[in-house]
Amino acid sequence: MNSTVPIPETVVPAGETPAASCPYCDRPFKTERQRDLHVIEQHPEDASGDEREAAEAANDAEVDELFFYHMKVIVAIGLLYSALVIVYMVVLGG
Amino acid sequence: MAGRRTFQATFAAAVTIALGSGSALAHAGALGGSLQSSAVPSWLLVLTGGSVVGASFLFATLMTDHGAIRAINAVGARLRRPSWGGWFVIGLKAASVLALLVILASGIIGPRTPTANFAVVVVWAGWWAGYTMSVYLIADTWRLLNPWRAVTDLLAVSDRSVPERWGAWAAIIGLLGLVWLEVVSPVSENPTLLVAVIAAYTLVTIAGGLYYLDWFDRVDPISRIFRCYGLMAPIQRTGNGIEFRLPSAALTDGSVSVDSRFVIAVLWVTTYDGMVSTPAWRTLAGWFVGVGFPAIVVYLVAILLGFGVFLAAYRLAAGYARRTADTFVTSRFIGEWLAPSLLPIAAGYHLAHFLGYLISLLPTLGAVITHPLTRPPVLQVLTIPGWFSGLQLAFVVIGHLFAVWVAHARSFELFPGRLQPVRSQYPFIVIMILYTITSLWIVSRPFGSPPFV
Repeated sequence: MNSTVPIPETVVPAGETPAASCPYCDRPFKTERQRDLHVIEQHPEDASGDEREAAEAANDAEVDELFFYHMKVIVAIGLLYSALVIVYMVVLGG
Repeated sequence: MAGRRTFQATFAAAVTIALGSGSALAHAGALGGSLQSSAVPSWLLVLTGGSVVGASFLFATLMTDHGAIRAINAVGARLRRPSWGGWFVIGLKAASVLALLVILASGIIGPRTPTANFAVVVVWAGWWAGYTMSVYLIADTWRLLNPWRAVTDLLAVSDRSVPERWGAWAAIIGLLGLVWLEVVSPVSENPTLLVAVIAAYTLVTIAGGLYYLDWFDRVDPISRIFRCYGLMAPIQRTGNGIEFRLPSAALTDGSVSVDSRFVIAVLWVTTYDGMVSTPAWRTLAGWFVGVGFPAIVVYLVAILLGFGVFLAAYRLAAGYARRTADTFVTSRFIGEWLAPSLLPIAAGYHLAHFLGYLISLLPTLGAVITHPLTRPPVLQVLTIPGWFSGLQLAFVVIGHLFAVWVAHARSFELFPGRLQPVRSQYPFIVIMILYTITSLWIVSRPFGSPPFV
Protein backbone atom coordinates (compact mmCIF):
# COMPACT_ATOMS: atom_id res chain seq x y z
CA MET A 1 0.00 0.00 0.00
CA ASN A 2 1.32 3.38 -0.95
CA SER A 3 -1.01 5.50 1.07
CA THR A 4 -3.08 5.51 4.17
CA VAL A 5 -6.65 4.31 4.16
CA PRO A 6 -9.28 7.06 4.30
CA ILE A 7 -11.45 7.06 7.41
CA PRO A 8 -14.47 4.95 6.48
CA GLU A 9 -17.98 6.36 6.66
CA THR A 10 -19.79 4.79 9.61
CA VAL A 11 -23.36 4.86 10.90
CA VAL A 12 -24.45 3.59 14.29
CA PRO A 13 -28.11 2.54 13.95
CA ALA A 14 -30.59 4.16 16.36
CA GLY A 15 -30.93 2.13 19.54
CA GLU A 16 -27.42 0.68 19.29
CA THR A 17 -24.34 1.88 21.16
CA PRO A 18 -20.87 1.08 19.95
CA ALA A 19 -19.01 -1.25 22.32
CA ALA A 20 -15.89 0.82 21.71
CA SER A 21 -14.55 3.63 19.59
CA CYS A 22 -11.09 4.65 18.48
CA PRO A 23 -9.63 7.45 20.64
CA TYR A 24 -7.64 8.76 17.64
CA CYS A 25 -10.15 8.74 14.76
CA ASP A 26 -13.48 8.25 16.62
CA ARG A 27 -14.38 5.24 14.46
CA PRO A 28 -17.02 3.17 16.32
CA PHE A 29 -16.66 -0.61 16.68
CA LYS A 30 -19.02 -3.44 17.54
CA THR A 31 -16.50 -5.10 19.86
CA GLU A 32 -13.58 -3.93 21.94
CA ARG A 33 -11.39 -6.47 20.19
CA GLN A 34 -12.01 -4.80 16.81
CA ARG A 35 -11.06 -1.44 18.34
CA ASP A 36 -7.90 -2.76 20.01
CA LEU A 37 -6.71 -4.31 16.75
CA HIS A 38 -7.61 -1.19 14.80
CA VAL A 39 -5.57 1.10 17.08
CA ILE A 40 -2.39 -0.96 16.71
CA GLU A 41 -2.83 -1.32 12.91
CA GLN A 42 -3.85 2.22 11.97
CA HIS A 43 -2.31 4.36 14.73
CA PRO A 44 0.82 2.44 15.77
CA GLU A 45 2.79 5.61 16.64
CA ASP A 46 0.06 6.96 18.92
CA ALA A 47 -0.73 3.73 20.77
CA SER A 48 0.03 3.82 24.50
CA GLY A 49 1.49 0.95 26.51
CA ASP A 50 -1.95 -0.13 27.70
CA GLU A 51 -3.27 -0.11 24.17
CA ARG A 52 -0.36 -2.22 22.99
CA GLU A 53 -1.10 -4.79 25.71
CA ALA A 54 -4.79 -4.79 24.81
CA ALA A 55 -3.90 -5.31 21.15
CA GLU A 56 -1.63 -8.23 22.03
CA ALA A 57 -4.40 -9.85 24.04
CA ALA A 58 -6.87 -9.26 21.20
CA ASN A 59 -4.40 -10.75 18.74
CA ASP A 60 -3.89 -13.87 20.90
CA ALA A 61 -7.64 -14.37 21.16
CA GLU A 62 -7.99 -14.00 17.42
CA VAL A 63 -5.16 -16.41 16.64
CA ASP A 64 -7.03 -19.10 18.59
CA GLU A 65 -10.26 -18.37 16.76
CA LEU A 66 -8.43 -18.22 13.45
CA PHE A 67 -6.98 -21.68 14.00
CA PHE A 68 -10.44 -23.24 14.17
CA TYR A 69 -11.58 -21.10 11.27
CA HIS A 70 -8.70 -22.37 9.13
CA MET A 71 -9.50 -25.95 10.06
CA LYS A 72 -12.99 -25.38 8.67
CA VAL A 73 -11.55 -23.77 5.54
CA ILE A 74 -9.29 -26.76 4.91
CA VAL A 75 -12.23 -29.13 5.35
CA ALA A 76 -14.24 -27.00 2.92
CA ILE A 77 -11.43 -27.07 0.32
CA GLY A 78 -11.18 -30.84 0.72
CA LEU A 79 -14.92 -31.33 0.33
CA LEU A 80 -15.07 -29.04 -2.71
CA TYR A 81 -12.29 -30.89 -4.50
CA SER A 82 -13.63 -34.33 -3.61
CA ALA A 83 -17.08 -33.34 -4.84
CA LEU A 84 -15.66 -32.07 -8.13
CA VAL A 85 -13.55 -35.18 -8.65
CA ILE A 86 -16.57 -37.43 -8.01
CA VAL A 87 -18.74 -35.39 -10.41
CA TYR A 88 -16.03 -35.64 -13.09
CA MET A 89 -15.70 -39.40 -12.53
CA VAL A 90 -19.45 -39.88 -12.87
CA VAL A 91 -19.74 -37.67 -15.96
CA LEU A 92 -16.67 -38.89 -17.83
CA GLY A 93 -17.00 -42.49 -16.72
CA GLY A 94 -20.73 -42.77 -17.48
CA MET B 1 -17.28 -4.89 -27.90
CA ALA B 2 -18.19 -4.77 -31.32
CA GLY B 3 -16.17 -4.83 -34.27
CA ARG B 4 -16.01 -8.50 -33.85
CA ARG B 5 -19.29 -8.82 -35.67
CA THR B 6 -17.85 -6.79 -38.50
CA PHE B 7 -15.77 -9.42 -40.06
CA GLN B 8 -17.98 -12.32 -39.38
CA ALA B 9 -19.06 -12.92 -42.94
CA THR B 10 -15.71 -12.19 -44.53
CA PHE B 11 -13.66 -14.44 -42.35
CA ALA B 12 -16.22 -17.13 -41.78
CA ALA B 13 -14.39 -19.65 -43.91
CA ALA B 14 -10.94 -19.15 -42.42
CA VAL B 15 -12.05 -19.24 -38.84
CA THR B 16 -14.50 -22.07 -39.29
CA ILE B 17 -11.68 -24.23 -40.55
CA ALA B 18 -9.57 -23.06 -37.65
CA LEU B 19 -12.07 -24.00 -35.01
CA GLY B 20 -13.16 -27.09 -36.81
CA SER B 21 -16.90 -26.83 -36.48
CA GLY B 22 -20.04 -25.14 -37.73
CA SER B 23 -20.63 -21.65 -39.02
CA ALA B 24 -21.79 -20.52 -35.60
CA LEU B 25 -18.12 -20.37 -34.72
CA ALA B 26 -17.34 -18.09 -37.58
CA HIS B 27 -16.72 -15.11 -35.47
CA ALA B 28 -13.08 -14.32 -35.04
CA GLY B 29 -13.23 -13.12 -31.47
CA ALA B 30 -16.15 -15.10 -30.18
CA LEU B 31 -15.87 -17.74 -27.55
CA GLY B 32 -18.99 -19.35 -28.93
CA GLY B 33 -18.62 -23.07 -29.07
CA SER B 34 -15.42 -23.00 -27.05
CA LEU B 35 -16.81 -25.66 -24.79
CA GLN B 36 -18.50 -27.79 -27.41
CA SER B 37 -15.50 -29.70 -28.66
CA SER B 38 -14.60 -30.94 -25.20
CA ALA B 39 -15.75 -34.27 -23.80
CA VAL B 40 -16.75 -32.45 -20.61
CA PRO B 41 -20.31 -31.08 -20.78
CA SER B 42 -20.53 -27.31 -20.64
CA TRP B 43 -22.52 -27.23 -17.38
CA LEU B 44 -19.64 -29.02 -15.68
CA LEU B 45 -17.01 -26.66 -17.08
CA VAL B 46 -19.12 -23.73 -15.90
CA LEU B 47 -19.45 -25.32 -12.45
CA THR B 48 -15.71 -25.95 -12.38
CA GLY B 49 -15.02 -22.29 -13.17
CA GLY B 50 -17.24 -21.23 -10.27
CA SER B 51 -15.53 -23.75 -7.98
CA VAL B 52 -12.06 -22.49 -8.92
CA VAL B 53 -13.09 -18.97 -7.92
CA GLY B 54 -14.63 -20.23 -4.65
CA ALA B 55 -11.58 -22.35 -3.86
CA SER B 56 -9.26 -19.45 -4.56
CA PHE B 57 -11.14 -17.44 -1.96
CA LEU B 58 -10.74 -20.30 0.54
CA PHE B 59 -7.00 -20.42 -0.20
CA ALA B 60 -6.76 -16.65 0.18
CA THR B 61 -8.28 -16.87 3.67
CA LEU B 62 -5.22 -18.89 4.70
CA MET B 63 -3.17 -15.79 4.01
CA THR B 64 -4.12 -13.48 6.86
CA ASP B 65 -0.81 -11.80 7.55
CA HIS B 66 -1.45 -8.15 6.89
CA GLY B 67 2.23 -7.32 6.45
CA ALA B 68 2.75 -10.12 3.93
CA ILE B 69 -0.29 -9.07 1.88
CA ARG B 70 1.00 -5.50 1.76
CA ALA B 71 4.52 -6.66 0.91
CA ILE B 72 3.28 -8.68 -2.08
CA ASN B 73 1.24 -5.77 -3.39
CA ALA B 74 4.03 -3.26 -2.84
CA VAL B 75 6.61 -5.15 -4.96
CA GLY B 76 7.79 -2.72 -7.60
CA ALA B 77 10.39 -0.38 -9.02
CA ARG B 78 10.32 3.29 -9.92
CA LEU B 79 11.71 5.25 -12.85
CA ARG B 80 12.06 9.02 -13.01
CA ARG B 81 10.64 10.92 -15.95
CA PRO B 82 13.37 11.62 -18.55
CA SER B 83 14.20 15.23 -19.44
CA TRP B 84 13.01 14.81 -23.04
CA GLY B 85 9.59 13.62 -21.80
CA GLY B 86 7.85 16.90 -22.62
CA TRP B 87 8.75 16.82 -26.32
CA PHE B 88 7.85 13.18 -26.57
CA VAL B 89 4.38 13.92 -25.17
CA ILE B 90 3.83 16.76 -27.66
CA GLY B 91 4.80 14.39 -30.48
CA LEU B 92 2.36 11.72 -29.25
CA LYS B 93 -0.49 14.21 -29.01
CA ALA B 94 0.14 15.51 -32.52
CA ALA B 95 0.25 11.93 -33.85
CA SER B 96 -3.06 11.08 -32.13
CA VAL B 97 -4.82 14.06 -33.74
CA LEU B 98 -3.38 13.08 -37.11
CA ALA B 99 -4.64 9.49 -36.64
CA LEU B 100 -8.14 10.79 -35.86
CA LEU B 101 -8.11 12.90 -39.04
CA VAL B 102 -7.00 9.90 -41.14
CA ILE B 103 -9.79 7.79 -39.61
CA LEU B 104 -12.37 10.44 -40.50
CA ALA B 105 -10.98 10.80 -44.04
CA SER B 106 -10.85 7.06 -44.60
CA GLY B 107 -14.43 6.64 -43.44
CA ILE B 108 -15.55 9.19 -46.03
CA ILE B 109 -13.34 8.47 -49.07
CA GLY B 110 -11.76 5.08 -48.25
CA PRO B 111 -12.91 1.70 -49.63
CA ARG B 112 -16.45 0.61 -48.65
CA THR B 113 -15.56 -2.97 -47.77
CA PRO B 114 -15.33 -3.02 -43.97
CA THR B 115 -12.28 -5.31 -43.93
CA ALA B 116 -10.38 -3.05 -46.35
CA ASN B 117 -11.32 0.20 -44.62
CA PHE B 118 -8.75 1.86 -42.41
CA ALA B 119 -11.35 3.48 -40.11
CA VAL B 120 -13.26 0.26 -39.42
CA VAL B 121 -10.21 -1.98 -38.90
CA VAL B 122 -8.22 0.53 -36.87
CA VAL B 123 -11.13 1.55 -34.63
CA TRP B 124 -12.47 -1.92 -33.85
CA ALA B 125 -9.47 -4.24 -34.10
CA GLY B 126 -6.64 -1.79 -33.48
CA TRP B 127 -8.16 0.51 -30.92
CA TRP B 128 -11.09 -1.14 -29.17
CA ALA B 129 -9.54 -4.61 -29.06
CA GLY B 130 -5.77 -4.03 -29.18
CA TYR B 131 -5.31 -0.65 -27.58
CA THR B 132 -7.68 -1.48 -24.71
CA MET B 133 -5.60 -4.59 -23.98
CA SER B 134 -2.47 -2.46 -23.83
CA VAL B 135 -4.20 -0.25 -21.25
CA TYR B 136 -4.89 -3.03 -18.74
CA LEU B 137 -1.88 -5.22 -19.61
CA ILE B 138 0.77 -2.46 -19.88
CA ALA B 139 -0.25 1.09 -18.93
CA ASP B 140 -2.99 3.70 -19.29
CA THR B 141 -1.61 5.93 -22.02
CA TRP B 142 -4.97 7.42 -23.04
CA ARG B 143 -4.20 10.63 -21.17
CA LEU B 144 -1.41 11.13 -23.74
CA LEU B 145 -3.04 9.61 -26.81
CA ASN B 146 -6.57 11.03 -26.48
CA PRO B 147 -6.82 13.27 -29.57
CA TRP B 148 -9.87 15.14 -28.23
CA ARG B 149 -8.04 16.01 -25.05
CA ALA B 150 -5.01 17.17 -27.06
CA VAL B 151 -7.30 19.67 -28.81
CA THR B 152 -9.14 20.91 -25.71
CA ASP B 153 -5.92 21.15 -23.67
CA LEU B 154 -4.59 23.48 -26.31
CA LEU B 155 -7.66 25.71 -26.34
CA ALA B 156 -9.31 25.34 -22.94
CA VAL B 157 -9.50 28.25 -20.54
CA SER B 158 -12.48 27.00 -18.52
CA ASP B 159 -12.38 26.51 -14.78
CA ARG B 160 -15.95 25.18 -14.40
CA SER B 161 -16.46 21.79 -12.76
CA VAL B 162 -19.05 19.21 -13.78
CA PRO B 163 -21.88 19.29 -11.19
CA GLU B 164 -21.39 16.52 -8.64
CA ARG B 165 -24.91 15.19 -9.13
CA TRP B 166 -24.88 14.21 -12.78
CA GLY B 167 -21.18 13.61 -13.50
CA ALA B 168 -21.14 9.85 -12.90
CA TRP B 169 -24.59 9.26 -14.35
CA ALA B 170 -23.69 11.10 -17.54
CA ALA B 171 -20.70 8.77 -17.98
CA ILE B 172 -22.85 5.69 -17.33
CA ILE B 173 -25.60 6.80 -19.74
CA GLY B 174 -22.91 7.62 -22.31
CA LEU B 175 -21.36 4.15 -21.97
CA LEU B 176 -24.68 2.27 -22.09
CA GLY B 177 -25.74 4.44 -25.05
CA LEU B 178 -22.56 3.76 -27.04
CA VAL B 179 -22.78 -0.01 -26.50
CA TRP B 180 -26.49 -0.08 -27.33
CA LEU B 181 -25.78 1.86 -30.54
CA GLU B 182 -22.99 -0.56 -31.44
CA VAL B 183 -25.26 -3.58 -30.98
CA VAL B 184 -28.37 -2.30 -32.78
CA SER B 185 -26.70 -0.42 -35.64
CA PRO B 186 -24.17 -1.46 -38.30
CA VAL B 187 -21.63 1.01 -36.90
CA SER B 188 -19.07 -1.78 -36.62
CA GLU B 189 -19.12 -2.54 -40.35
CA ASN B 190 -20.32 0.60 -42.13
CA PRO B 191 -17.46 3.14 -42.55
CA THR B 192 -19.81 6.06 -43.22
CA LEU B 193 -21.92 5.42 -40.13
CA LEU B 194 -18.81 4.84 -38.04
CA VAL B 195 -17.39 8.19 -39.09
CA ALA B 196 -20.74 9.90 -38.43
CA VAL B 197 -20.74 8.49 -34.88
CA ILE B 198 -17.11 9.55 -34.35
CA ALA B 199 -17.91 13.03 -35.68
CA ALA B 200 -20.88 13.36 -33.31
CA TYR B 201 -18.73 12.12 -30.42
CA THR B 202 -16.02 14.62 -31.42
CA LEU B 203 -18.48 17.53 -31.33
CA VAL B 204 -19.89 16.58 -27.93
CA THR B 205 -16.46 15.82 -26.45
CA ILE B 206 -14.73 18.98 -27.71
CA ALA B 207 -17.66 21.13 -26.54
CA GLY B 208 -17.74 19.37 -23.15
CA GLY B 209 -13.97 19.53 -22.78
CA LEU B 210 -13.93 23.26 -23.52
CA TYR B 211 -16.84 24.06 -21.24
CA TYR B 212 -15.84 21.90 -18.26
CA LEU B 213 -12.36 21.59 -16.81
CA ASP B 214 -12.94 18.02 -15.58
CA TRP B 215 -15.01 16.69 -18.50
CA PHE B 216 -12.54 13.89 -19.27
CA ASP B 217 -12.23 12.85 -15.64
CA ARG B 218 -15.92 12.80 -14.87
CA VAL B 219 -18.17 12.56 -17.94
CA ASP B 220 -16.34 11.21 -21.00
CA PRO B 221 -17.11 7.45 -20.84
CA ILE B 222 -14.11 6.44 -22.98
CA SER B 223 -11.59 8.28 -20.80
CA ARG B 224 -13.21 6.82 -17.71
CA ILE B 225 -13.10 3.25 -19.02
CA PHE B 226 -9.42 3.56 -19.85
CA ARG B 227 -8.64 5.16 -16.50
CA CYS B 228 -10.42 2.30 -14.73
CA TYR B 229 -8.66 -0.38 -16.78
CA GLY B 230 -5.34 1.45 -16.39
CA LEU B 231 -5.55 1.19 -12.60
CA MET B 232 -4.75 -2.53 -12.82
CA ALA B 233 -1.85 -2.13 -15.26
CA PRO B 234 1.68 -3.08 -14.18
CA ILE B 235 3.01 0.36 -15.15
CA GLN B 236 1.58 3.23 -13.10
CA ARG B 237 2.15 6.96 -13.38
CA THR B 238 3.49 8.60 -10.23
CA GLY B 239 4.17 12.23 -9.35
CA ASN B 240 7.59 12.33 -10.98
CA GLY B 241 7.86 9.28 -13.20
CA ILE B 242 6.52 5.76 -13.48
CA GLU B 243 6.32 2.74 -11.24
CA PHE B 244 6.35 -0.96 -12.13
CA ARG B 245 3.94 -3.12 -10.10
CA LEU B 246 2.60 -6.67 -10.15
CA PRO B 247 -0.56 -6.99 -12.30
CA SER B 248 -3.62 -5.67 -10.40
CA ALA B 249 -1.46 -4.81 -7.37
CA ALA B 250 -2.00 -1.08 -7.83
CA LEU B 251 -5.75 -1.70 -7.35
CA THR B 252 -5.05 -2.53 -3.71
CA ASP B 253 -3.66 0.95 -2.96
CA GLY B 254 -5.75 2.84 -0.43
CA SER B 255 -5.64 5.93 -2.66
CA VAL B 256 -7.45 4.13 -5.51
CA SER B 257 -11.10 4.97 -5.70
CA VAL B 258 -13.51 4.25 -8.53
CA ASP B 259 -17.22 4.88 -8.84
CA SER B 260 -18.83 1.49 -8.22
CA ARG B 261 -21.77 2.39 -10.49
CA PHE B 262 -19.46 3.06 -13.41
CA VAL B 263 -17.40 -0.09 -12.85
CA ILE B 264 -20.59 -2.13 -12.73
CA ALA B 265 -21.69 -0.48 -15.99
CA VAL B 266 -18.36 -1.55 -17.57
CA LEU B 267 -18.89 -5.10 -16.33
CA TRP B 268 -22.51 -5.17 -17.49
CA VAL B 269 -21.87 -3.90 -21.03
CA THR B 270 -19.30 -6.66 -21.65
CA THR B 271 -21.84 -9.20 -20.42
CA TYR B 272 -24.64 -7.63 -22.47
CA ASP B 273 -22.52 -7.69 -25.60
CA GLY B 274 -22.07 -11.44 -25.22
CA MET B 275 -25.61 -12.09 -23.99
CA VAL B 276 -27.35 -10.65 -27.08
CA SER B 277 -25.53 -13.23 -29.21
CA THR B 278 -26.93 -16.25 -27.34
CA PRO B 279 -29.84 -18.43 -28.52
CA ALA B 280 -31.63 -17.73 -25.21
CA TRP B 281 -31.68 -14.04 -26.04
CA ARG B 282 -33.00 -14.82 -29.52
CA THR B 283 -35.93 -16.67 -27.95
CA LEU B 284 -36.65 -14.02 -25.34
CA ALA B 285 -36.28 -11.02 -27.64
CA GLY B 286 -38.21 -12.88 -30.34
CA TRP B 287 -41.21 -13.12 -28.03
CA PHE B 288 -41.22 -9.37 -27.33
CA VAL B 289 -40.66 -8.49 -30.99
CA GLY B 290 -43.46 -10.92 -31.92
CA VAL B 291 -45.84 -9.16 -29.56
CA GLY B 292 -45.09 -5.95 -31.40
CA PHE B 293 -42.33 -4.12 -29.55
CA PRO B 294 -39.73 -2.53 -31.85
CA ALA B 295 -36.47 -4.50 -31.63
CA ILE B 296 -34.29 -1.49 -30.80
CA VAL B 297 -36.58 -0.68 -27.87
CA VAL B 298 -36.30 -4.26 -26.60
CA TYR B 299 -32.50 -3.94 -26.76
CA LEU B 300 -32.64 -0.58 -24.99
CA VAL B 301 -34.89 -1.82 -22.18
CA ALA B 302 -32.67 -4.89 -21.79
CA ILE B 303 -29.46 -2.88 -21.41
CA LEU B 304 -31.05 -0.54 -18.84
CA LEU B 305 -32.79 -3.34 -16.94
CA GLY B 306 -29.67 -5.53 -16.85
CA PHE B 307 -27.61 -2.64 -15.51
CA GLY B 308 -30.23 -2.13 -12.79
CA VAL B 309 -30.08 -5.82 -11.86
CA PHE B 310 -26.26 -5.84 -11.69
CA LEU B 311 -26.24 -2.67 -9.60
CA ALA B 312 -28.94 -3.96 -7.24
CA ALA B 313 -27.11 -7.28 -6.79
CA TYR B 314 -23.89 -5.47 -5.94
CA ARG B 315 -25.60 -3.15 -3.47
CA LEU B 316 -27.34 -6.11 -1.88
CA ALA B 317 -23.95 -7.78 -1.45
CA ALA B 318 -22.56 -4.61 0.14
CA GLY B 319 -25.53 -4.54 2.52
CA TYR B 320 -24.92 -8.15 3.54
CA ALA B 321 -21.20 -7.45 3.96
CA ARG B 322 -22.08 -4.94 6.67
CA ARG B 323 -23.72 -7.82 8.51
CA THR B 324 -21.20 -10.61 7.88
CA ALA B 325 -18.36 -8.27 8.89
CA ASP B 326 -20.25 -7.11 12.00
CA THR B 327 -19.34 -3.47 11.51
CA PHE B 328 -20.66 0.09 11.70
CA VAL B 329 -19.05 0.98 8.35
CA THR B 330 -21.86 1.86 5.92
CA SER B 331 -22.74 -0.55 3.15
CA ARG B 332 -22.21 2.28 0.66
CA PHE B 333 -18.61 2.72 1.82
CA ILE B 334 -17.96 -1.03 1.71
CA GLY B 335 -19.37 -1.19 -1.82
CA GLU B 336 -17.22 1.70 -3.04
CA TRP B 337 -14.17 0.34 -1.22
CA LEU B 338 -14.32 -3.07 -2.88
CA ALA B 339 -15.42 -1.84 -6.34
CA PRO B 340 -11.85 -1.86 -7.80
CA SER B 341 -11.84 -5.65 -7.40
CA LEU B 342 -14.39 -5.90 -10.23
CA LEU B 343 -12.00 -4.42 -12.80
CA PRO B 344 -9.82 -7.53 -13.39
CA ILE B 345 -13.05 -9.46 -14.09
CA ALA B 346 -14.02 -7.03 -16.84
CA ALA B 347 -10.47 -7.07 -18.24
CA GLY B 348 -10.31 -10.89 -18.22
CA TYR B 349 -13.56 -11.08 -20.14
CA HIS B 350 -12.38 -8.44 -22.61
CA LEU B 351 -9.14 -10.34 -23.24
CA ALA B 352 -10.98 -13.62 -23.73
CA HIS B 353 -13.36 -11.94 -26.11
CA PHE B 354 -10.93 -10.02 -28.29
CA LEU B 355 -7.45 -11.58 -28.26
CA GLY B 356 -8.19 -14.18 -30.93
CA TYR B 357 -10.00 -11.56 -32.98
CA LEU B 358 -7.05 -9.18 -32.74
CA ILE B 359 -4.44 -11.82 -33.60
CA SER B 360 -6.39 -13.05 -36.60
CA LEU B 361 -6.68 -9.49 -37.93
CA LEU B 362 -3.06 -8.39 -37.35
CA PRO B 363 -2.09 -8.81 -41.06
CA THR B 364 -5.21 -6.86 -42.09
CA LEU B 365 -4.32 -4.16 -39.62
CA GLY B 366 -0.85 -3.89 -41.13
CA ALA B 367 -2.30 -3.77 -44.65
CA VAL B 368 -4.79 -0.96 -43.95
CA ILE B 369 -2.24 1.07 -42.00
CA THR B 370 0.03 1.09 -45.04
CA HIS B 371 -2.96 1.86 -47.34
CA PRO B 372 -5.15 4.20 -45.27
CA LEU B 373 -7.22 5.68 -48.08
CA THR B 374 -7.06 3.05 -50.83
CA ARG B 375 -7.88 -0.62 -51.00
CA PRO B 376 -4.90 -2.75 -49.86
CA PRO B 377 -3.76 -5.17 -52.62
CA VAL B 378 -3.75 -8.21 -50.30
CA LEU B 379 -5.97 -8.85 -47.27
CA GLN B 380 -4.98 -11.74 -45.05
CA VAL B 381 -6.06 -13.12 -41.72
CA LEU B 382 -4.20 -15.47 -39.41
CA THR B 383 -5.77 -18.78 -38.51
CA ILE B 384 -6.42 -19.28 -34.82
CA PRO B 385 -5.52 -22.79 -33.63
CA GLY B 386 -8.13 -24.91 -31.91
CA TRP B 387 -6.45 -24.94 -28.50
CA PHE B 388 -6.89 -21.20 -28.34
CA SER B 389 -10.46 -21.56 -27.07
CA GLY B 390 -9.15 -23.20 -23.89
CA LEU B 391 -6.94 -20.18 -23.38
CA GLN B 392 -9.97 -17.92 -23.68
CA LEU B 393 -11.80 -19.74 -20.88
CA ALA B 394 -8.64 -19.46 -18.79
CA PHE B 395 -8.60 -15.66 -19.24
CA VAL B 396 -12.13 -15.41 -17.80
CA VAL B 397 -11.15 -17.45 -14.74
CA ILE B 398 -7.78 -15.69 -14.26
CA GLY B 399 -9.56 -12.33 -14.23
CA HIS B 400 -11.71 -13.62 -11.37
CA LEU B 401 -8.69 -14.89 -9.46
CA PHE B 402 -7.10 -11.44 -9.54
CA ALA B 403 -10.44 -10.02 -8.41
CA VAL B 404 -10.50 -12.35 -5.39
CA TRP B 405 -6.99 -11.26 -4.45
CA VAL B 406 -7.78 -7.54 -4.79
CA ALA B 407 -10.95 -7.90 -2.68
CA HIS B 408 -8.94 -9.84 -0.08
CA ALA B 409 -6.21 -7.21 0.14
CA ARG B 410 -8.63 -4.27 0.23
CA SER B 411 -10.80 -5.83 2.94
CA PHE B 412 -7.68 -6.19 5.10
CA GLU B 413 -7.08 -2.46 4.72
CA LEU B 414 -10.61 -1.60 5.75
CA PHE B 415 -11.23 -3.94 8.69
CA PRO B 416 -8.94 -4.64 11.65
CA GLY B 417 -7.68 -8.07 12.62
CA ARG B 418 -7.97 -11.12 10.37
CA LEU B 419 -11.39 -12.66 10.80
CA GLN B 420 -13.46 -9.53 10.22
CA PRO B 421 -11.82 -8.80 6.82
CA VAL B 422 -12.33 -12.39 5.71
CA ARG B 423 -15.99 -12.40 6.77
CA SER B 424 -16.64 -9.09 5.03
CA GLN B 425 -15.84 -10.76 1.70
CA TYR B 426 -18.50 -13.52 1.83
CA PRO B 427 -21.25 -11.71 -0.09
CA PHE B 428 -18.82 -10.43 -2.71
CA ILE B 429 -17.40 -13.90 -3.29
CA VAL B 430 -20.95 -15.18 -3.86
CA ILE B 431 -21.44 -12.39 -6.43
CA MET B 432 -18.14 -13.25 -8.13
CA ILE B 433 -18.97 -16.96 -8.34
CA LEU B 434 -22.38 -16.16 -9.82
CA TYR B 435 -20.72 -13.83 -12.28
CA THR B 436 -18.13 -16.44 -13.31
CA ILE B 437 -20.93 -18.90 -13.91
CA THR B 438 -22.92 -16.37 -15.92
CA SER B 439 -20.04 -15.28 -18.12
CA LEU B 440 -18.78 -18.83 -18.72
CA TRP B 441 -22.35 -19.84 -19.57
CA ILE B 442 -22.62 -16.99 -22.08
CA VAL B 443 -19.32 -17.80 -23.74
CA SER B 444 -20.21 -21.47 -23.91
CA ARG B 445 -23.33 -20.79 -25.99
CA PRO B 446 -23.14 -21.05 -29.77
CA PHE B 447 -22.43 -17.63 -31.17
CA GLY B 448 -24.75 -15.76 -33.52
CA SER B 449 -25.19 -12.15 -34.56
CA PRO B 450 -27.66 -10.18 -32.41
CA PRO B 451 -31.09 -10.96 -33.89
CA PHE B 452 -33.77 -8.58 -35.25
CA VAL B 453 -31.44 -5.59 -35.71
